[in-house]
Amino acid sequence: MIEHFLAGSATLFGDPFTIGVFIFGVLGGMLFGAIPGVSMLTLCAILLPFTAQLTASQGVMLFAVIYCTGTYGGAITAILFNIPGAPENAPTAFDGYPMTQQGKAGKAVGAAVLCSAIGGVASAIVMMAATEPLAKWAIRNIGPPEIFALVFFGLAVASSVGGKTMWKGWMSVLLGLLIATIGQDPVGGINRYNFGFADLAAGIAFVPSILGFFAVSEIFVQAEKKAMGKFTAPKVGLSFPTFAEIWFHKIAVVRSILVGFFCGILPGIGATLAAFMGYGEAVRWSKDKTSFGKGNIEGVISSETANNAATGAAMIPLLALGLPGGALTAMMVAVFQMHDLEPGPLVFYNSPDLIWVVFAAMFYANLCILFIGLLETKTILHLLKVPFQFLAPLILLLASIGSYIGRGLVLDVMVMFGAGIIGFLLRRSGYSIPGIVLGIILGKIGEQNFAQGMQMVHYDLLTYLSRPVCLILIIAGSLTLLSGIYKAVSTSLNSKA
Amino acid sequence: MGRLTTSHIIETVVWGLIVIIFFGFSFEFDREIEIYKFGATGWPRTILILLALVTLGNLFHLYRNGSIGEAGRVGQSEPDDEMTYNSLRDYSKLLAILIGPLIYAILLKPVGFYFLTPFFISYIIVIFGERSLKFILGVTLLLYLILLLLFMVVLNAPLPQGNMSPFYDYSAFLLKLNTQLKQLSIW
Repeated sequence: MIEHFLAGSATLFGDPFTIGVFIFGVLGGMLFGAIPGVSMLTLCAILLPFTAQLTASQGVMLFAVIYCTGTYGGAITAILFNIPGAPENAPTAFDGYPMTQQGKAGKAVGAAVLCSAIGGVASAIVMMAATEPLAKWAIRNIGPPEIFALVFFGLAVASSVGGKTMWKGWMSVLLGLLIATIGQDPVGGINRYNFGFADLAAGIAFVPSILGFFAVSEIFVQAEKKAMGKFTAPKVGLSFPTFAEIWFHKIAVVRSILVGFFCGILPGIGATLAAFMGYGEAVRWSKDKTSFGKGNIEGVISSETANNAATGAAMIPLLALGLPGGALTAMMVAVFQMHDLEPGPLVFYNSPDLIWVVFAAMFYANLCILFIGLLETKTILHLLKVPFQFLAPLILLLASIGSYIGRGLVLDVMVMFGAGIIGFLLRRSGYSIPGIVLGIILGKIGEQNFAQGMQMVHYDLLTYLSRPVCLILIIAGSLTLLSGIYKAVSTSLNSKA
Repeated sequence: MGRLTTSHIIETVVWGLIVIIFFGFSFEFDREIEIYKFGATGWPRTILILLALVTLGNLFHLYRNGSIGEAGRVGQSEPDDEMTYNSLRDYSKLLAILIGPLIYAILLKPVGFYFLTPFFISYIIVIFGERSLKFILGVTLLLYLILLLLFMVVLNAPLPQGNMSPFYDYSAFLLKLNTQLKQLSIW
């Protein structure tokens, strides 16, 4: 493995143009990840046609590097402005933004930098060491029933965090799932809930709804505070977390790496669910559960470690099986195809150079997160000093453009602002915006895998549950669900009406 | 009525209406799929039934506890300062915040991004309480130029041009200018 890694590193750093592509990917991913509205997906969509001019290894490497650094970049706005750059940074905002309000933004961003790098590097090492055996294990043990079971577990975890009550947590998740049913059903292609609009046949696009719920609703909240004279500028805290503070949470880091890696390896699941589950598990095992959501650094650590740990793992189904796990890895398939290659088991034998350049680049990209992240953190924190009346129109317009250019539909911009209004009203009533977004993201994946799973087991639930991974995940999800219901009902019964 | 307030009842009615409307519309696509027993309606109807049950659970919670949240919930930030609306002016401010951007989105198709955007930037700055004309005009111009430079000149992103004269003509003028500038730079 080491000689392959060194050979990949030599190829990467032996050519000045390849180094340029690598640096562009690192900085572009960080920048586009950090700007709400134009995520790393937007950058990759813009760059896709240009990859035809690159070699296959440069093209795939560029996207892999953007994936790593973009996942980290989204944490910055989540922490500083409560606007996650991407859905996988949503749980980071739970504790990161309260830390900013308490003047501890430096600690939160520092923890995000360190833990993103740790999660990403650990994931890259496991990916290099075990892509082939893990892919073989996944082929044997992971199918649609397991993916549905993980979606169920993930939604149960998401419902347990974020909302004011368990009921509101579940209502948020179910609203997200309901929004995801708009458009063609994934089995028979029948149009659902298009209400006479032809544009809705393709469904509600992820990007506008996510931007609406996260970015636009937050701008509305801040605008309302300004208008009512209750706006307070966040405090700029420049102190970094100490080594001892991070070391104190070492178990949370290791746990989040495992959670992130497991989620990342499953096609279609990826970093978003990883971040939620990393956060959920941190809460589950913590002795001080009530401090989460109020500025507990472990919330930032667990979420950011898990989402970056998922990036390396997401490459395993792509490279070993040819299965893209999400939108960005699907674009990587397009890069392969542009160069007459097909990702899958054969790529390890036909193009080992490409594989090891990509692995080496992901490893170094995660190291770059650490160094560039630490260097830029103090500069980034000064963003808090920029007047919000300057940032707000910029964020809204970038979000509008980001929504529009995906499909070229003005309807998507309307959906974004509509989602912003709904998000604003739901936030005021104690609903969970991340829960809605996770429901939207996982809705189609859940339905498709449920349908395929049911067809596989001929609608026999016992056969369904006889699969060990599936059974474990269904039990874990059910326990999370039942304990939530028990707590909610006992809270209601113990209080006097 | 327990601790139920009018807003709790409205909240429950809204959720109930969502369930009823979506359930009603599900009959529009209630068709069998040969390879899938549960058809196109199975999944959305299951979600709607669960949503109805959870809404009832939420109503029960509101009846017993009012707006008080569940103790020990995580990931829920400290509640924001309660906003109190005392006058019609306060409500009109809220309406301006919420409706302005939506009107921008509706006007994008006929008027286009290039003509409409400077007005939108100024509108948002004013909404955020800025009253200095210098700041409003300066920031509007700066942001407009940054966006044009990034999306029109550098990325060539296809943005809405509008379909009504003279707005469309203005967009066409800017795009033509951009093409001419690029040709000049090539030479």
